[in-house]
Amino acid sequence: MDTALTQAWLQLDPSHGFPLLTALVLMPTLFALIGVTIPGSLQWAHKALSLVGSLVTFGLGMVVWALTDTARAGLQLTDDSSWIPSIGARWTLAIDGLSLPYVLLTVFLTPLVFVGAWSAIDKKWKEFAIALLVLETGMLGSLVAVDLLAFYVFWEVMLVPMYLIIGIWGGRDKVYATLKFFLYTMFGSLLMLVAIVWMYLHAGNTFQLGAWTQLDLTETQQHWLFAAFALAFLIKVPVFPFHTWLPDAHTEAPTPGSVILAGVLLKLGTYGLLRFAIPLFPAALGWASPVLLALAVIGIVYGAMMAYVQTDVKRLVAYSSVSHLGFVMLGIVAFNEEALQGAILQGVNHGLSTGALFLLVGFLYERRHTREIADFGGIAKRMPVFAAFFVFVTMSSIALPLTNGFVGEFLIFAGAFKEGVRSSMAAGEGTSWRTMMLVGTGIATSGIVLGAVYMLSVVRRVFFGPMTNPDNEGLHDLTGRERLLMGALCVFIVWIGVAPGRWLGMSEATVHAMVQPLRPAILQVRAPADFRREQLLNADARAE
Amino acid sequence: MVAFPPVFGMSAAVVGLATIVAPLAAFLLLGLLRPLRATGTPAAAVAIVAALVSTACAFALVFAGAPREAVADLTVPWLVSAGQTWATLGVYLDATSVPMLAVVTLVGLCVQVYSLGYLHDEPKESFGRYYAFHSLFLVAMLLLVVAKDLLQLFVGWELVGLASYLLIGFWWQKPSAARAAVKAFWLTKLADIGLGAAIVVLYVQTHALDWSPATVQALGPAGATLVAALLFVAVMGKSAQFPLHVWLPDAMEGPTPVSALLHAATMVAAGVYLLVRAWPIFDAAPDVRLAMAWIGAFTGLFASVVACAQTDIKKVLAYSTCAQLGYMVAAAGAGAIDAAYAHLIGHAAFKALLFLGAGCLIHAVHSNELADMGGLLRRLKFSGGAFIVGALALGLYPSKELVLAGVGHAGLQGPLVLLLAAAGLTAFYMTRSVLLALFGPASAHADHAHEAPASMLAPVLLLALLSVAGFALFDSVAPVLVAVRERPHSWLGHIAHGLALAGFAVGFALYGPRRRDALALPGVRAGLAFVRAAAVDRAFQAAYRMGLLAFSRSVAWVDRYLIDGVMNLSAFASQSGAERARRIQTGKTYDYLTAVVAGLLLLAVASVYAR
Repeated sequence: MDTALTQAWLQLDPSHGFPLLTALVLMPTLFALIGVTIPGSLQWAHKALSLVGSLVTFGLGMVVWALTDTARAGLQLTDDSSWIPSIGARWTLAIDGLSLPYVLLTVFLTPLVFVGAWSAIDKKWKEFAIALLVLETGMLGSLVAVDLLAFYVFWEVMLVPMYLIIGIWGGRDKVYATLKFFLYTMFGSLLMLVAIVWMYLHAGNTFQLGAWTQLDLTETQQHWLFAAFALAFLIKVPVFPFHTWLPDAHTEAPTPGSVILAGVLLKLGTYGLLRFAIPLFPAALGWASPVLLALAVIGIVYGAMMAYVQTDVKRLVAYSSVSHLGFVMLGIVAFNEEALQGAILQGVNHGLSTGALFLLVGFLYERRHTREIADFGGIAKRMPVFAAFFVFVTMSSIALPLTNGFVGEFLIFAGAFKEGVRSSMAAGEGTSWRTMMLVGTGIATSGIVLGAVYMLSVVRRVFFGPMTNPDNEGLHDLTGRERLLMGALCVFIVWIGVAPGRWLGMSEATVHAMVQPLRPAILQVRAPADFRREQLLNADARAE
Repeated sequence: MVAFPPVFGMSAAVVGLATIVAPLAAFLLLGLLRPLRATGTPAAAVAIVAALVSTACAFALVFAGAPREAVADLTVPWLVSAGQTWATLGVYLDATSVPMLAVVTLVGLCVQVYSLGYLHDEPKESFGRYYAFHSLFLVAMLLLVVAKDLLQLFVGWELVGLASYLLIGFWWQKPSAARAAVKAFWLTKLADIGLGAAIVVLYVQTHALDWSPATVQALGPAGATLVAALLFVAVMGKSAQFPLHVWLPDAMEGPTPVSALLHAATMVAAGVYLLVRAWPIFDAAPDVRLAMAWIGAFTGLFASVVACAQTDIKKVLAYSTCAQLGYMVAAAGAGAIDAAYAHLIGHAAFKALLFLGAGCLIHAVHSNELADMGGLLRRLKFSGGAFIVGALALGLYPSKELVLAGVGHAGLQGPLVLLLAAAGLTAFYMTRSVLLALFGPASAHADHAHEAPASMLAPVLLLALLSVAGFALFDSVAPVLVAVRERPHSWLGHIAHGLALAGFAVGFALYGPRRRDALALPGVRAGLAFVRAAAVDRAFQAAYRMGLLAFSRSVAWVDRYLIDGVMNLSAFASQSGAERARRIQTGKTYDYLTAVVAGLLLLAVASVYAR
């Protein structure tokens, strides 16, 4: 039970020459520091500087992509050096097929967000640019840090800029929203800090992820530590019932804040589960699986129903995130190769399509200063291009085939169903876990229909029908800049949808190597009969 | 594997690919180049040329003289995992897909040409948009037809749903059209879960998504039943089978040519095409087939009854489409898949003809209501005549006998009786429509009615010709095209014909020279009552949506006051707790000394007890 696992997928490559990942992570902050020296009155300079900074980071991201060998598992492009020797903390950054998709998503979305902010942010551009650049460092750092102290530092670094972005550039109830956002997230991360400190003391002077997986922990210890880690991540995702900070934060945040929040920050929750909580305490996932499954499925249906009754478009999109991330959680809980690949890809997909939706809602808000569905109706007449983009992104959001959403959802469902059926059809000793998984997957499918229900209903109410509100007569269609932003996102929506091979290939080897040691450890706890059967099958396969 | 003979000196698969690439190019041109789209008629020309190329290629394939076992396969691996290809993308031509290619492209072409006249009053921009959507539809439908496995079929299946949504909602300013578009999408999406789930089950159980006997073998009987049942749910949605048919009558909100193409001839037939295509799976699931026979037959009768009481000519045809699709589904249920396919192809021709003919009548009087027509034949000789040809074909088409023979042969007496009754009703309601619209006293609108322009008449006359040819040459064409067994000259055929003639006669008696008030007739009254009973499923729908809405609202209440309430309460509690705790810091030395002494005492007592 408490024997440590050999996890080859967390094997660190030896440090190589140029500290590429360090450069990638710190590049935005470097530009933020340059920005500090330029007076705030030169707004254009900050616009240009932040765009250049995020584009340089994007370029570095492309280099990272080119240099990462996704055909093999293991942490690559390692930057490992002593950081705080007195406590044994190291500056260890590395990347693999699990973090690469999210790194790419981050470096891709940030320049778009900056360009989108040209009109969305109308005051204190200097401070905004600095905050967002620092936030990018925090996000990238959280994604590539494999030293738990460094990870925790980056994790907290994300919190402050986001707090400021909502608090300064936010809407009417921004104070309430920021406080809620801050307290929720802080609550989770403090428990995680306690767990990190405990692990540090237990492991003896190291924060290295690889070393921590070698520890012998009792069942009870695993459960408590997993709970502490997972809570931080589940709040971030957010999983029902820890989600109520999200609609408020989204509604009050300015468009760039919403895009980054939905596009990247939420994914760090699921990433954290896969990178830290599950590999460190796999048996505890087996223990918590029924609860997590239930929460994921509730989240899917609950988020969709909440979205259906919203009167504010942005709140609707926010609740749709709860539903979509429920699918991602379903994939994570199933924990087989299909489901995990689907979950990782669906994270990226959600970043693209929900990011696009938030941008679109932002364009509308900038024109009309309202997001109430009832204030619109028939505006496709004045904004045909906008309507076309909205319908297109809606199709991606409801997972129409040939858009990105379909590939991810399909793999998640295939994996989840496999988890339920592989079990129940063969062995005869059906466990309650299989039934739960099957029932949960069945309920989750209703989320697909509900997705079409709330998205198409908002499309109809906003764009179709006669134009009744005279205030909408003056609306003008998307500008060239806005079309460019949407076009960039749509290219990826189609690319992943039509030719997902490259995007799935990115995580394939890593997921394969990750499932090898972890799945048996999880199964052993949640479905012992399956575990024995898989062991037997593997033994048979070896014998042949 | 027998190779497909080359066509136009090229490999057949390349020609098959061209059928898709041409409309795809048109769609991309019209979709992405706004200036081109905004030109109106030239934009339409782009789409029509593409459809013409498509049609030419498809017919070349039909007349290539390929043996029935010939196959042309031009597919590339699409989704690969662990070195195993489990989904392909490309063109797969065989005796099943080629006839359907011809049907889809030809009807598509006819409808696109027809629309030139029908929609010429539209603003140029939306005219171009209309043709862009039509091209998208052709791409989607053809992708579906030439799919080699269920995943590509699903892609096409969902995309035709999207095209349907866009085309029903073409007049999106009309709230009813916008609602109908959304309703069609929701209901078919609900049913599509079945197809998606079937794909997931197939993938997990066999790691293959095709319908080959090997895959069916790997599924096993239980698996095949499950997959067939799931697929059939999707078929019921797409092919408007009871009780999932409710979206189809509403879909008539779209322009009439759209109804002809999508909601009569091709898209709704996609469900039946799936039955034909994935037949090995259904063949291995007799329980599912039994359900299919009953559901199809019931839909056939039910929709025929409802059609009798419609006052809107398009709604008559819409319910008639439901009923005919019911025939096809029942035939498949009885195992007579060739009869189902033959009926699909024949129905595509004469139902497109009926819709386009009805479009000419609507165009002339600017109303869908039968009451606004009347006496139109005098002024609309060609389109009126074509409509009559379509009505006769619908009543007497030979493939119907094949369906009945198949169902009778399978020993399904119940469904057989339902379908026979439907055959009589079909003749009746078509007679009624013809007499009400074309004969009798001229309505107020009929006086200034004028014949449709040539662009509309040409496709109508072509389809009329095809219907007649199909009728006359059925026994020589059908065996070649869909390998039907010889038409059995059994007593069933005579009964069917007798019933149809009776239907014509009753219709003529009621609506002929001595036209009576239709609504006062007992039969019609009963029919109307039945429609109201049929409105039960509309009530179902309303209840469902109310239920969903009400449930969602209560969920929202829970979210706001319970879940968020607990969070806010705990925040409030800690805030007020801190407020109270703050008072401990009084700043008075006396208070602090008291606390220190009390603490020391406590520690002393505790240490005594601890020992």
